[in-house]
Amino acid sequence: MLAVTETPLAAPAPVGDGNLVLDLLTGLRPESVPLWAVMATSALIAVGLAVALISLIAMFSTWMERKVAGHIQCRYGPMHVGWHGWLQPIADGVKLLLKEDIIPKGADKVLFVLSPAIVLASLLGAMAALALSPNFFFADIDLGVFFILAMTSTTTIGVVMAGWASNSKWSLYGSMREAAQVIAYEVPLGISLMVPLIVAGTFNLREASAAQGGWYGMHWFVFQNPFMLPAFLLFFTAVLAETKRAPFDLPESESELVSGFLTEYSGIRWSFFFMEEYAAMFLYSAVGAFFFFGGFESPFTWAVAQMAPHTIDLGETIGTLKLLGEGSLLHNLVAVATIVVKAFAGVFLMMWVRWSLPRIRIDQVMTLGYKYLTPLSMVCVLGAALFELAWIRFFGGAS
Amino acid sequence: MNATAKYAKNVWDGLKSSLVGMQITGKYLLQKPITVQYPLERLPIPNRYRGIHYLEQEKCINCLACARACPIDCIEMDAVRHGKELEWVSFTLDYQKCMFCELCVYPCPKDCIHMGTEFAFVSYDRSEFKHDLLSFKGMAREAKIRMLEAEEKKKRKEAAKAAGQEVADEPESDADAEAES
Amino acid sequence: MAQTAPDSKQGASPSMSLDEARVLPSGEREFMLDVRTQDMELNMGPQHPATHGVMRILLRVDGEIVTGAQPHLGYLHRCAEKIGENVEWLQYLPYTDRYDYLSSMNNNLGYSMAVEALMTGLEIPRRAQMLRIICAELNRIGSHLIAYGTYGLDIGAFTPFFYAFREREWMMALFEKICGARLTYSYIRIGGVFNDAPPGWLGEVERFCDVFEQKWVEYYDLLMENHIFVKRTADVGVISREMALDFGLTGPMLRGSGVDWDLRRDMPYSLYGEIWKDGAFKIPVARGEKGSLGDCWDRTWVRVMEMMESIKIVRWCLAHIEPGPIIGDVPKVLRVPTGEAYVGIENPRGELGHYVVSDGGKVAIRVRVRGPSFVNVAVTEALMTGTLLSDAVAIVGSTDVVIGETDR
Repeated sequence: MLAVTETPLAAPAPVGDGNLVLDLLTGLRPESVPLWAVMATSALIAVGLAVALISLIAMFSTWMERKVAGHIQCRYGPMHVGWHGWLQPIADGVKLLLKEDIIPKGADKVLFVLSPAIVLASLLGAMAALALSPNFFFADIDLGVFFILAMTSTTTIGVVMAGWASNSKWSLYGSMREAAQVIAYEVPLGISLMVPLIVAGTFNLREASAAQGGWYGMHWFVFQNPFMLPAFLLFFTAVLAETKRAPFDLPESESELVSGFLTEYSGIRWSFFFMEEYAAMFLYSAVGAFFFFGGFESPFTWAVAQMAPHTIDLGETIGTLKLLGEGSLLHNLVAVATIVVKAFAGVFLMMWVRWSLPRIRIDQVMTLGYKYLTPLSMVCVLGAALFELAWIRFFGGAS
Repeated sequence: MNATAKYAKNVWDGLKSSLVGMQITGKYLLQKPITVQYPLERLPIPNRYRGIHYLEQEKCINCLACARACPIDCIEMDAVRHGKELEWVSFTLDYQKCMFCELCVYPCPKDCIHMGTEFAFVSYDRSEFKHDLLSFKGMAREAKIRMLEAEEKKKRKEAAKAAGQEVADEPESDADAEAES
Repeated sequence: MAQTAPDSKQGASPSMSLDEARVLPSGEREFMLDVRTQDMELNMGPQHPATHGVMRILLRVDGEIVTGAQPHLGYLHRCAEKIGENVEWLQYLPYTDRYDYLSSMNNNLGYSMAVEALMTGLEIPRRAQMLRIICAELNRIGSHLIAYGTYGLDIGAFTPFFYAFREREWMMALFEKICGARLTYSYIRIGGVFNDAPPGWLGEVERFCDVFEQKWVEYYDLLMENHIFVKRTADVGVISREMALDFGLTGPMLRGSGVDWDLRRDMPYSLYGEIWKDGAFKIPVARGEKGSLGDCWDRTWVRVMEMMESIKIVRWCLAHIEPGPIIGDVPKVLRVPTGEAYVGIENPRGELGHYVVSDGGKVAIRVRVRGPSFVNVAVTEALMTGTLLSDAVAIVGSTDVVIGETDR
């Protein structure tokens, strides 16, 4: 199918001549330090950055969630710590760190301790594939989306482990529901993502983004194919289920299962699950932004890319730094801003849905997943593919 | 309704009602919240609010009407009577028991016990909830003066009685006492 | 428990005995060759978000399916009836606030009317009757708002709860202005009410009615018409007409099963007979709109519709209220003539009956309370068996149980 469409991609944006951190470190490296040490340091810095990124995202998201929920419910939300409570996540974090770490008596200690780590680690792995700008990314993976989907579904193992290890009936219910739900919704999630993948012809996030740069940065995939919007709705619904957000928050379902798989967790371990949830929301929203809403591309990014290139020389070790024009520092910054804004718009949408809708029952979750989302997403894939073929047949070139 | 139509209707209903719900919540998202930031700003408390009691001690005559009206017997009062005047020892209300029903306020013959607008009564120690409503203990200054005067008068009267002048003095002293009280 | 059916041999493998075929609540038989499963006992409550207080429901579950349920009551027992035999007539009034703390006005009214029934010759002034009805109906709105909001919470929608509390807050502010308390009012006294409405209060009630009518539409759209909510509640916990009568259900639970019975109309008390004759209000009776008649949706629908009817009653009273005395000729030390009386009134949850016996003294010799929640909650056991765990929560929520009243 991809061969037929002849991948209507512009050439991928020139990716910086290599890893920025690595370049910097290699440039500064004295002769006595071996190359592998430099590479290891660079990897550690990248991991540190990713952890920091997850924490930042989670902190901002919790604050945002509380504000959105508050204002939807005619109240303020946190107001006292900092301006409109923006430092509240830090206060919460300190509180969670200082809380007593309780492991229930009958719990399976090893699994109980291990499961938050697995949850967070798998998400950290998924984060690695997320490109933040054309030249800033942790790992440029050709099968980027595939990798992200695979890694984020690994969190389920952690959740199931948590539920089992807690030795609580409510936790067990939560984890079993999570397992059933994720299995049911992986399918429509993947299939609905096939629609933009057909048009993009690549799994790579940056390449997909670059393919949407036309029309003054507004040639987004949603505007390219009539099946794209329904596909996005399906994708969004599946993402809600994957990230355990209301109306699919059955693993936690507060009014039924007390707190689901989190019932026995407290303190920092609990916050790991929490961070995972918010980071996963951000990650999926970013994937949605990459494959439906233009990725880095927006009129602003386009305008910066059109500027006349301007470079400054920073000396021998580092080399030249591009300030304006395509692939420059400003271009990257605008791209980062674009993707972050788009991802948080998705996160906001999820919060809005959460505070508007009731929860679905478990059998309805299964029905929705297997009987509605899966067939409908298949219809979308088929329709999108036929539309692309027809377009090429009658108009030539891609839509 | 055949299966396909039902399927389509389910999808349509689900989408539409979700959007309606989100429209309503979205409307409130943009409006100003209705709550207040409590310690910084407070809602007005109406006059009739049934909060912590206050006592007009000068008026109170230690008649125990409020204590009798109380369903849970949380009012206890103690005063020593010196003739017509009272020396207050205690007038306690146990706020661990009190249920703020206001039944104690109505039977009062002198209308001297009221419920105030104060409500935040917090303590780490339970014993502090046994709250003394007295603004002063012992005897009021005016009451003391009145009592001394009355005693003096009584002494004078007795002295006069002893001297055998009781007929002339008695009506006068009664009138004095009434004027004072 | 296994059932043997004549055709069951065809599906079973020869190595397996028929006793191992377990019958699912749907009627299907499940054949398990090697796996032996065991039902799990699950304590829902007394500390659980969905039990509205401290009710404990002992569930027997097979996975997500509830195979047995047993409500346990008594965690909030405070000897309310016994207290009634030990305190004076008027002193019992604050205790009536506390059994159904969401509708204290109605409780006050019920108890006061039971005592008034014994006091022959006591006439309650018309203004007092009007104020009583205004307060009782406003309280009914507040109570149904909680029922609606917490039901949303049980189903998983948080926001309707806050919207309901927003209006309830205003209602409580109104009560705060007229009687000084926000939850335990003790406002309706034997013989009348104990405070006249402060100046401007009736106007504010009118404004409340105006605003509430607008907000009510939002309540309806936000939750009642929501597809997920409908799917969660329609055809869940169906109480048939006969079952409702057999269990002695009253109030919205009964009308939710299609039985047209409301004490305000059928055994009119206070001024309700006059208001009904004036055609000021209707009795909403469920019709099984979204599913079968008598499901959880119907019961919630009855409550939501009743709020509007209460508004109409309040409006009628506001239009007809006139100045006058607010309390009848009641002696300060109340001695109730010898006799016994039962008065049932329509509480937000059903028939609240007070049975009082007097020997002519200052203290009742018996006070008995027929709490609607206590009777209504009995039906959960029959409804829960064979449903999903989530449905069990929905069923408990739809009974709108107030534990203070079941346990008293």
